[in-house]
Amino acid sequence: MMKIIFIASGITLLAGSFLLVSNAAATDDYDVKAFGPKSPIVWTKPAKTSFEHRPHTDVAGLECKACHGEIFAMQRGVAQKTGKFTMASLADGMFCGACHDGKRAFASDTKCAACHKIPDDPIVWTKPVKAVVFFHETHGEKSDLKCVSCHDGTFPMQVGVAEKSSNFTMKSIYEGRYCGACHDGDTAFAANTRCNTCHIGRKGYDRLMGRDPYAEKDGH
Amino acid sequence: MDIKNLEKEQNEGIESLPSDERRKFLQMGLAVTGVFLGGTLLSLTSVSTAKGRNADPAIPADGQYPYTKHYGMIMRQNHCVGCEKCMDACVETNNVQIGHGAWRTTIQERLTPLDSGREKREFRPILCNQCNRPPCVRVCPTKATYKDPETGIIVMDDKKCIGCKTCMAACPYNARYYSHAKHAIDKCNFCIDTLLAAGEKQTACVTSCPAHVRVFGDLKDTSSEIYKLLHKPDNKIWVIRPDCGALPNVFYMNA
Repeated sequence: MMKIIFIASGITLLAGSFLLVSNAAATDDYDVKAFGPKSPIVWTKPAKTSFEHRPHTDVAGLECKACHGEIFAMQRGVAQKTGKFTMASLADGMFCGACHDGKRAFASDTKCAACHKIPDDPIVWTKPVKAVVFFHETHGEKSDLKCVSCHDGTFPMQVGVAEKSSNFTMKSIYEGRYCGACHDGDTAFAANTRCNTCHIGRKGYDRLMGRDPYAEKDGH
Repeated sequence: MDIKNLEKEQNEGIESLPSDERRKFLQMGLAVTGVFLGGTLLSLTSVSTAKGRNADPAIPADGQYPYTKHYGMIMRQNHCVGCEKCMDACVETNNVQIGHGAWRTTIQERLTPLDSGREKREFRPILCNQCNRPPCVRVCPTKATYKDPETGIIVMDDKKCIGCKTCMAACPYNARYYSHAKHAIDKCNFCIDTLLAAGEKQTACVTSCPAHVRVFGDLKDTSSEIYKLLHKPDNKIWVIRPDCGALPNVFYMNA
């Protein structure tokens, strides 16, 4: 009698678990407990970076504890508040650099775009003059440049850093800094020609920000 | 062949014409403007009426400036990036009450679509052209606006202005506006009452320009930058609306 009960309950449990699995497969087979959060972790400082848990847990087979503890706090925003969450510290083996050292996983100074998303929107500078645009698309996809060609030697990746510098001027570009590293008339068109390829003016800036540049200014 | 149809024929240029031949025609007081129909026809015109671009009466001949100091401005147009710092400086210096589209100087923008899908962008700074034959002065019923004989700058006598706006309609450059603060028409006067009166040599828009687009100065001063730019051989200079005959003193070039 006991045997029958055991077998019956076993069958019920088995069927139940099959049901659970098939239910999960029908809607979503993502196991949050095993894989970690489904949506990517996005850091905005110092530069926009995203991290997917699944390639690290499900694919690479890491336990949560492998990173969460000493390397990365589980709490949101802690890493970027430390002020040490930089490529330099990664190279020293901190944060992602604990594994991404070129031995256990690809080195942190390679495959930039695996974590850093190349911005689709133009980069817009408003200082010292309004406004200058830069398209990554024209420089990356349509030429042989790599991320490291400019970042961070010529241009800091961090938003607003170049702009805050007092030497972010045409003069220093003519001297070969910033855009002038290539825009010297040799590698790319000289920086003292074709001004309005990059300079869009205040009207262009207004338009970019979704405002009508002629709303108030035009006509007498 | 009908000589009137000549202009419809293809002009083969005058390069193929031997210089001896050309010289002969010049000695006769004729200029060769083209060779047509395989050299069987020449187009000739008398030298006195043949004027090239540099003979454009809108560009003053060296030394022909009617005023004691003859102020003018030349724009190195292709250097303008449309940052509008000149506009800010002008508003601040000359107390321009912005709103209702009031400006003493502004930047025009032209966008031309390119094959690449992008746009070609050009900026052009404009302001009062301080014309030698100013239509605004001619039409003013109260002589509230006049050409300052000392500087050639067109100035306003606010007390005389009745605000009829006839000068606004007459201005070929749309460079005048009605100031609700002054209850008079206001316009660019090359900062004559603000900076020049205080002994400054430059206008607010010139000083604030980060790209050295605007060059202001006395056309009579042969050592001035504006004089040198205006009279540099082969420097292509143009003015806005030369056809209106106002003889403007604001010139444009590409640097």
